[in-house]
Amino acid sequence: MHSKLPVLLAFVLAMFGSQSQAVPTIQHWQLANGAAVYFVPTEGLPLLDVQLVFDAGSARDGEKLGLAALTSALIDQGAGGLTAQQIAEQLDSVGARMGASSSRDYTSISFRSLSDQQTLKTAWGVLTKVVNTPRFPTLGFSREKQRTLLSIKQREESPGTLAQLALYRHMYGEHPYANPIQGQYDSVNRLSVNELKAFYKKYYVGSNLTMVLVGGISRQQAELLVDQAVGQLASGEKAAPIAAVDTPLNGAVIQQSYPSQQTHVLYGLPVLKHNDEDYFALYVGNHILGGSGFSSRIVKEIREERGLAYSAYSYFSPMLQKGPFMMGLQTKNESLDEAVKATKQVLGQFVDKGPSEEELIAAKKNISGGFALKLDSNKKLLANVVGIVVSGAPLDYLNTYVQKINAVTAKQIQQAFQRRVRIKSMTLVTVGENKDTNN
Amino acid sequence: MRKLSVTVFLLNSLYSLTAFASPELMSNMVHEKVLKNGLKILVKEDRRAPVMVSQVWYKVGASYEYDGITGVSHVLEHMMFQGTQNLEPGEFSKIIAANGGQENAFTGADYTAYFQTMEASRLEVSLRLEAERMQHLNLQQKEYEKELQVVMEERRLRTEDKPQGQTYEYFKAMAYTSSPYRNPIIGWMQDLKDMQLADLAQWYQRWYAPNNATLVVVGDVDATHVFSLAEKHFGAIPAVSSTPIKQRVEVPQLGVRRSIIKQTAKLPYLLMGYKVPVLNTTDKETDVYALELLSGILSSGNSARLDSRLVRGQQVATNASAGYDLNARLDSLFLFDGVPADGRSLQELEEAIISEIDNLKKTLVQQQELDRIKAQVIAAAVYQKDSNFYQAMQLGMLETVGVGWQKEAEYLDKVKAVTAEQIMAVANNYLIEDHLTVVHMQPQPIDNKQEARHAQ
Repeated sequence: MHSKLPVLLAFVLAMFGSQSQAVPTIQHWQLANGAAVYFVPTEGLPLLDVQLVFDAGSARDGEKLGLAALTSALIDQGAGGLTAQQIAEQLDSVGARMGASSSRDYTSISFRSLSDQQTLKTAWGVLTKVVNTPRFPTLGFSREKQRTLLSIKQREESPGTLAQLALYRHMYGEHPYANPIQGQYDSVNRLSVNELKAFYKKYYVGSNLTMVLVGGISRQQAELLVDQAVGQLASGEKAAPIAAVDTPLNGAVIQQSYPSQQTHVLYGLPVLKHNDEDYFALYVGNHILGGSGFSSRIVKEIREERGLAYSAYSYFSPMLQKGPFMMGLQTKNESLDEAVKATKQVLGQFVDKGPSEEELIAAKKNISGGFALKLDSNKKLLANVVGIVVSGAPLDYLNTYVQKINAVTAKQIQQAFQRRVRIKSMTLVTVGENKDTNN
Repeated sequence: MRKLSVTVFLLNSLYSLTAFASPELMSNMVHEKVLKNGLKILVKEDRRAPVMVSQVWYKVGASYEYDGITGVSHVLEHMMFQGTQNLEPGEFSKIIAANGGQENAFTGADYTAYFQTMEASRLEVSLRLEAERMQHLNLQQKEYEKELQVVMEERRLRTEDKPQGQTYEYFKAMAYTSSPYRNPIIGWMQDLKDMQLADLAQWYQRWYAPNNATLVVVGDVDATHVFSLAEKHFGAIPAVSSTPIKQRVEVPQLGVRRSIIKQTAKLPYLLMGYKVPVLNTTDKETDVYALELLSGILSSGNSARLDSRLVRGQQVATNASAGYDLNARLDSLFLFDGVPADGRSLQELEEAIISEIDNLKKTLVQQQELDRIKAQVIAAAVYQKDSNFYQAMQLGMLETVGVGWQKEAEYLDKVKAVTAEQIMAVANNYLIEDHLTVVHMQPQPIDNKQEARHAQ
C-alpha cells in the first residue's frame, strides 16, 4: 500500500498523560441491608442515570423456565397502590424513563430522569414503589404472560434467533445457561403469579443488589435517594453461586433447516468468567480476530475478500460462569460451505500462529486511542461502571485499562487462545435452507 | 418505526427548567460558515468530554433515485470505503482505527451521511480523509463486484428474511404512487443485480460535491479552528453545477388502499399509514407540530393511548405504536403498526386503532394528557444532549432535508404551543379514510424445523 497522504498515526499512545484526569472516580458505599452502591457525580447536564442490578437472572429459574424474565416484566405493572397506568402516567408526566429486563445472570432496573428536585420527587417516588412493593396483579400477570408467549412464538420466525437458541442449548447442555431467557412456551404457560412473588421475595433483596448512579447530583443527595429507594429492602440472602460450566470435550455440528434465503452461522464454546486473568490477552486478540469491524481478520476475509456476508464478527462475553466465545455470520444459502470453511480457517490460523506485531500495534492504537469514547456520555459511563462493579473488577479498572491493554504481547495472545479456544470442542450451528452440508 | 423521541430536537429555552448544574456548558450555539465552493459547515461546541464527532451529509438518497437504479445511493455509500486515488481499498478505515476512531455511514431516503467519532485532537484526520473521498473516489470493478454481493446479503438479512421488514417494503410501494418514497432505500433486488459501475460513477459525479454537502462537527472543538481546517482540506474542491431534481410529488390519493401480504411467519402484523405533510412541504407549520404531538398522545411513553388502551385495556394488541417523522424532504406517512394479541384478529386491531383516531377527531385531548406529552419532549431534549452524535445528527438532518438547521432552535417552543383544538383539527384533516393505506400480513406456516446433530 502506497499512500500519498501524510502519515497520521503519530502520538496515539502518548496522549494518555493528559487523559488520565478525565477518568472518573467511582465512589462506593454499602447499606446496612447489604446493598452495594456505586456513584459517579457528573457535571454539565441536569440528568440522573441509575441501574439496579439484582443477581436474579434466568440462570435462577430452576425448572420454571422464564420465571426471572416474567417477574421483571411484571415489576412495573402495579406497585404500592399505583396501577400500571398510574405508574406510567407519573413517570411520563416528568419525562422520566424506567425499564426492567433480565439476562442469564442478572435482572436490571434502569432509570433515567432530569435531576432537579421536583422531577426527582415524582420519578424517584415511583421507582421506590416499584422496587419495594410490586403488586403482581392477576390481570397484569395474565396479560404479560400472553405477551411473552407470543414473543416466544415469534422467535420461530427469525433464523438468527433460532441459531442463538440452538447454540446455547448445545454449548451448555444441562447447565442453566442452555435455556432461553424468556423460557419455553410450555414452561411459561405453567407459571403462576405466586411463583413470581416468591422469586421477587427471594432475589430482590439488599444482599443481592448492586446499584449504580451516574449524574448531576451531590453525594449527599445520592445517599438520600439510595436510602429511600432500596434502604428498606430486606437484607435477604445472597444468591448461591451459579453452577460451574462443564466445557464439552467434543464439539458438534447442528443443522436446522429453515426456509430463509440466508443461512445463519454461529460457532462457539463456553470460555470466560468475569475477571479472568486471560481477559486482556483474549480481548486484544479478539479485537484483531473479529472484534473491530473492518480492521478484523474475519471481516477482511468473509466480507472484504469474498463478499460473503454483510456482518461477520467474533466476541467473548464474560459471565458469572463461563460465557461464550462466539463467531457469527449470515450468508446466502449457496455460500454456506465456503463461508464456514473460511471462518474455520481464519480461526484455526489465528489460534495456531497468533497475531502479527503489526496487527497488535494497530489494535492497541485503536483501543487506547478510542478510550475517551468509552466515557463520553452519562449513558456510556453508567454502562461501563455497571460492567466494572458487577464483574467484581477493581474500582481503578478504568485508570489501569490502557496500561493493561498496552502490556499485552503477541505471545500472550497466541498462548491464551491456544489454551482457551479449543477448536475441537466448539459447536457449529447453521440455520437456513441448506439441509446437507459436510462441515 | 420512529417514535416521538426520535424527532425531537434541541432547544433554546432550557433556562425555563430549574436546577441546572452548569448552564454555561449547555450552550445551544451553532456556528455556521459557508465556504466559497458552497460547503456548509456547522459546529457545536460541547466540552463535556475530550471527543468529537464529524459528519459529512450529502443531499442525495433513495428518494433521488429513479426506476431501474434503486439502491444506487446506498451501494455508492459502501463504495466510499473501497479506495480513492490516494487510498487503497480499506485504507480509510485503517487510518481511522489507528487514530482510535469509530466510523460508519448511513443512507436514508433523503440523505447519505458519513461519520467519524474520535478523540477531539484527531479532527483533522477525519476532515482530510473526507475531503479526499469527496473528490477522488476510485471506483474499481473488482471491489465493486464484491461489495455488491455484500449489499445483497444486507438486503437478504434486513428484508427477505424478516417478515415485518418485507411487509413494510410492500406497504410503502402500495401507499405511494408517484412519490419516490415508494422504493426501498436498499433498492429492489433486481435493480441491484442489474447495477453497473457506470451507474455509480454518474451518481458520484452528480451529487458528491461541496455545494451539495454539509459538514457537521460537535464536541470538544473550537469553531474557528474547525472552519480553518475545513477551508484547508475542502476549500479547493470545485463546486459542481447542479441541475435541480424533478419534484415528483405524490398524486392525491382518491380512496383507501388495502392489501394482504402472505409471509412465512408466526405472528400476523398490521401496518397503516395516512398521507401527511412534513415541515419541508407544509404551508401551515402548526399542522406539522400538531401531528407530532398527536403521535405523542398515541404512542409516546407507556401511558400513551395505544399502550394504555389497546395493549393493557382492551388487550387487543400485544404491541402497537404510532409514528410520524416531520423531518423529510417530501410528503410522508403517519404510521401505525401492531401485532394482535393472542386470539384477536388483524381486523379487530385495525378497528381498535380506527376507533382511537375517531375519538381524537371528536373529543378534545385533556390538558393533563397534553402536558404529559410536552413534559416528555422537554426531558427528551435534555437527554439528547448526552450524545454528541445525536446533536450532530439533528443539525445534519434538518439541513439536508431542506428545512434548515435553524429549525432546531424553534422546535420546543412550537411543540409547547400546540393546543388540544389543533390536535383535533389535524386528526380530522389528515387522518381520513381516503388517504389511508392498510396492509394485513397473514402468516403462513413455517416448514417444521428439523435439527440434525453430527460430530464435528
